Amino acid sequence: MWEFLIPLFAATVQSGTPILYATLGEMMTEKGGVLNLGVEGIMSISALAAFWVSLSTGSPWLGFLAGGSAGMIFASLHGFVCISCLGNQVVSGLALTILGVGLTHFLGVPYVGLPAPGFNPFDFPLLSQIPIIGDIFFKHDMLVYVSFIIPFLFWFFFKRTSLGMHVTATGEMPAAAAAAGLKPIALRYFAVVSGGFIIGLGGAYLSLAYTHLWTNGLSGGRGWIAVALVIFAFWRPGRAVVGAYLFGGVMAFQLRLQAMGTNLPSSLLLMLPYLLTILVLILSAWRGHRIDAPAALGTNIEPEG
Amino acid sequence: MKKLLKLFTVLAASMALMLSLFACGEAPQEKKAEEAAPAEKAEAPKEEPKTIKAGFVYVSPVGDAGYSYAHDQGRKAVDALDYATTAFVESVPEGADSERVIRNMARKGFDVIFTTSFGYMDPTLKVAKEFPDVDFMHCSGFKKSENVDNYFGRIYQARYLTGLVAGAMTKTNKLGYVAAFPIPEVIRGINAFTVGVRQMNPDAEVRVVWTKTWYDPALEKDAAKSLLDAGCDVIAQHQDSPAPQEAAQEAGAYSIGYNSDMSSFAPKAHLTSAIWNWGPMYVKTVEQVRDGTWKGNESLWWSMQDGVVDIAPMGPMVPEDVKIVVEASKAELMKGNDICFVGPIKDQNGEIKIAEAEKATDAQLHDMMWFVEGVVGTVK
Amino acid sequence: MPLKIRKRDEPWKWGALVVFLGALLFSLLVSALLLAGQGKDPIEGLYVLWQGSFGHLWALEGALLKAIPLFLCSLGVAVAFRMQIWNIGAEGQFALGAIGATWMALLFPDLPGIVLLPLMFVMAFLFGGLWAFIPAFLKLKLRVNEIISTLMLNYIAILLLDYLVFGVWKDPASFGFPMTPEFTAGAIIPSIGGSRVHWGLLFCVVVGVGLWAFMRFTRLGFELQASGEGPRVAKYAKIRYGMLVMLVMGLSGGFAGWAGCIETSAVLNRLQPSLMVGYGYTAIVVAWLARLEPLNIAFASFLLAALRVGVENMQLELQVPAAFGVIMEGIILMTVLAGQFFLIYKLERKRRS
Repeated sequence: MWEFLIPLFAATVQSGTPILYATLGEMMTEKGGVLNLGVEGIMSISALAAFWVSLSTGSPWLGFLAGGSAGMIFASLHGFVCISCLGNQVVSGLALTILGVGLTHFLGVPYVGLPAPGFNPFDFPLLSQIPIIGDIFFKHDMLVYVSFIIPFLFWFFFKRTSLGMHVTATGEMPAAAAAAGLKPIALRYFAVVSGGFIIGLGGAYLSLAYTHLWTNGLSGGRGWIAVALVIFAFWRPGRAVVGAYLFGGVMAFQLRLQAMGTNLPSSLLLMLPYLLTILVLILSAWRGHRIDAPAALGTNIEPEG
Repeated sequence: MKKLLKLFTVLAASMALMLSLFACGEAPQEKKAEEAAPAEKAEAPKEEPKTIKAGFVYVSPVGDAGYSYAHDQGRKAVDALDYATTAFVESVPEGADSERVIRNMARKGFDVIFTTSFGYMDPTLKVAKEFPDVDFMHCSGFKKSENVDNYFGRIYQARYLTGLVAGAMTKTNKLGYVAAFPIPEVIRGINAFTVGVRQMNPDAEVRVVWTKTWYDPALEKDAAKSLLDAGCDVIAQHQDSPAPQEAAQEAGAYSIGYNSDMSSFAPKAHLTSAIWNWGPMYVKTVEQVRDGTWKGNESLWWSMQDGVVDIAPMGPMVPEDVKIVVEASKAELMKGNDICFVGPIKDQNGEIKIAEAEKATDAQLHDMMWFVEGVVGTVK
Repeated sequence: MPLKIRKRDEPWKWGALVVFLGALLFSLLVSALLLAGQGKDPIEGLYVLWQGSFGHLWALEGALLKAIPLFLCSLGVAVAFRMQIWNIGAEGQFALGAIGATWMALLFPDLPGIVLLPLMFVMAFLFGGLWAFIPAFLKLKLRVNEIISTLMLNYIAILLLDYLVFGVWKDPASFGFPMTPEFTAGAIIPSIGGSRVHWGLLFCVVVGVGLWAFMRFTRLGFELQASGEGPRVAKYAKIRYGMLVMLVMGLSGGFAGWAGCIETSAVLNRLQPSLMVGYGYTAIVVAWLARLEPLNIAFASFLLAALRVGVENMQLELQVPAAFGVIMEGIILMTVLAGQFFLIYKLERKRRS
C-alpha cells in the first residue's frame, strides 16, 4: 500500500509545484483587484526566457530569475492595458494568453530539443531522512523547496506588512483607499507586476526543473488551472497549496492507475482533474463558505474626470 | 449609429472594388501560366527534365523533434535533389483547414503532395478528384484512388528489434510504454516490442499508460515516472517528445526512443530508438513522378528492407552478445523476412491469435486492436 | 505632465473604427518587424498575406468556410458577454453540439435530409445549450464563477468526444482510427451550386439577421443591447435575473452548438477529434473586436478567418512558422483593448490658469 502511496504523493508535490507558483502569482494580482487570465501565456514565455538564459549563461539560477522577469514584463503589458488604458480585464488576459503562447512557439523554434542546465532533485540534508514525510517532501529539486517558502511569505506579506494591507485595501475598495491617501493605481501595478514575477517563476520551473529540454507546449493548460485554483483557495495561500497539490495529485493518480493495469477507459480517467475542480468549487459554496473575493476584482479604476 | 453604418458600407465597397481589381489583375496572369504549362509539358520528355515541385503537409510543427520532424528530414532529402524543389506547411489541423492547404498546393502547380497525417485522408481524396494530374501520397491511411497512394512504414519491425534490446537489459522484468492513442499502429508497435522483449526474456511484462496526446512533454514525463514508480526499469514510448527519456535517465533506468535518435537527450539511459527514415523512399517517389512511372491506387507499406524504418545505434551499455542477436534479426528483416509476428501468438486472454508457425498477414496487422500476452493495460 | 485626461462628453463616434484600423496597422507593423527579424522580406511577406486572404476567389471561399463556424460561436459569446456573463465555454459547447448532431446522424441514417438535417440542428442546439446551462445553474445557485466552470467543461467536453469516437461510435471499417462512420447523404449539408461554400452560410445570415432584429425591435433585445447590466435588464424585461441568465447562456451555448453541427455535417462529414480547432476561443477574440454587435461580428469573423488563411499562404510561400498568425491576432486584440481608452477619454493639454 505504502509502495503505491509514497511515490504518488511525491509525484503530487512535483506535479503541483508549477501550479502552486502560478496560483500564488495570480492570487497576488487578484488581491489588488485585477483579474489576469493571461497566466498560461505568461508561463509559456517565461519558460522560454528561463531556458534561453540558462542555456546562454550556464546558470540555472539566472534562468530562474529571467523567467520571473519575463513574467513581470508580460504582466505589465496586461497592467498597462487594464490599469492605464481601462481595457476589459477578461479580454486583455485572453489576448495575453494568445500572444504569449504564440510568441513562445515562434521564438522557441531554434531551441527545440536542446537541453539546458537545470535543477536536479537531491535529498534535503537531515529532513529527507524522516520516514514517509522525508520521502514525500524532501527529495526534490531546489525550486520545489523554494515553493514551500512562498506561501509563508504571502501570509506574512498580507497580514503583517503595511504594503500588503494597502494592496488588499485597493482590491476591496479603490475609492476608499484613495480617500485614505493611498495610491490605488500604483498599488495595482505592484500587484500585477509582482504577481507576474511569481507566475514567471512557475514557468521557469517547467523548463528548468520539470523537464530540462525545450519543447513546445510545456505549460499544457496549467495556467488556466491556476486561475481556477485562486478561486478555490478563497484567495488564501494555505488553501492554494492544498488546491495545487490536489490537482497535481489527481493527474499523477490517474497515470499511476493506468500503470497498475486498470481497465477503466483513459478518456474518463483524464477527466478527473477537471471534474474534481468543479466538484470542489460546488462543495465549498454549498457549505456556505464566504467567498472572499476582493470586492473590486475585475473592475477598472476610472481616473478623476 | 448611422454614421458608423455609412462608414462600414464605404469600407466594404472599397474592399470590394480592390478585390475586383485584383481578380481582374490576376486572371490574365493565370491564363498565361495555364497556356504555358501544357506547352512545357509537351516539351519536357524531349528537352531538359522539368523541375518537380513536391509539397508536404504536416500536422505538427517540424521543430518538435518527433513525427513531423522525421518527415521533414525526408523532405530535405528531396530538396537536395537538383531536379526538385520543395515547400511545406506545418501545424495544419485535420479537417477543413487541411483540405484548403492541400488544394492550394495543387493549384500552385505542385506535382506531388505528401499529406503526412491520418486525418488528412478524406481531404486528400477530395482534392485529388479535382486535380487528376497531381500525384498524392497519403501517410498512415487506408483509402486510395486513381491518383492517390496511401503509404506507411513497418515501424513495428524496428519496435521488435528494440524489444529484443529492452528485454535483454531489464532486471525487474517490468517494462513501461508511454503511448499516445489506442490506434492500430501504436498497438502494433507495443505488440511487436513485447514479442521482442519476451523472446529475450519470457517472464517480462510490458505496462502501458495512455496519455491521449501526441505531444505534451510534462504529461509524458509524468506518465513515465508513474511507470518507473511501478517498478519498470526500461521505458519505451510512442510519443513525440523526448520527455520520457529524461524521466528514465533521472531514475537511473533505461529507455527506448522513437521517431529519431533520442540518445542526445538521455545518453546514460538511451538504449536505442525506433526511427523513421523517409528520405530514400521519398526520393524514389519523386524520381517516379519525374519519370512518369509513378502509379496511383496503391497501398504501400515500406519495410526495413526499403530503408524506411531502422533502429538508432545501440548505446555502449548494451553488451556485445545482445548486439549480435539484434544485428542477426535485423539482417533477417533486411532480407525481407518478416520475423516479428510468427505464431503461436496469444492475446492477453490467452486466446491464440496467430497460429503456430504462421506469420501474421497484413490484414491482421492492420486490424490489430488487441494486445499480445505479456502486455498489462487496456486498449480502451 | 502637460497632458490631462478628460472624460469625453459623448463617446467618440468614429472611434471604434479608427481604433480598429489603427490596431490593424500597428499589428502589421510589428509583424513586418518580426518577419525582418527572421530574415524574410517584410514587404513580400505582407503581399503574400494579402494574396492568401483576398487575392483569389478560392482564397475568399476558404475564408468564408472558416468564418461560418467562427461567426456562430462569436454570436453566442457576444450574447453572453453583453450581460457580463463570461462564457469561456464556447469550445465545449461547440463540441457538444457536434455530438448531438452526430447522434442524430448515426441513429437515423436513412432519413431524408429534409427531416434529418433540422433534427440534427435541434439536437445540436439542445446539447450545446445544455452544456451552457450547467455553468449558468452553478453560477445562480452556488455562485460558482462561470469563467472556471465553463473552462473546465471545455476540457471535459473534448474528452467526452474522444471517448465516444474511440469507443461506441467508432467506425468498424476505420481500422481502429477514432472516427465515426461517414454520414449518409441525408446528414450532410449540401454545397451552394458548384462552389465550395455550403448552405451553412445562408443559415448564418438568417441567424445573424434574426439576432440583430431581436436586439433592435424587441423590448428585451433592446435593453440587452443598451445596458449590458444584468439586474437592470431583468427589471425592464420583467423576468427574474436568474431566468435571464439561463436564457442568455442557453442561447449562447446553442449558437456554438449550431456551429459544431455545421462543421461536422458540411465540412468533415463525420465526427472525429480533429473537429476541434479552437473556434470557441477565437470567437472570444472576434466578439470583443466587434464590440459584441452582430453586424460587426460578421465582418470581424470574416477578417479573422481571412487572416488565418493568408498566414497559411505565408507558410507555404515563405516558410514562415505557423505561430505567426497567432501572434498577429494577439497583438491586434491587445492594441484594440489599449485603444479603447481613447473612446471614452481624451488627452487634453492642461490649461494654464
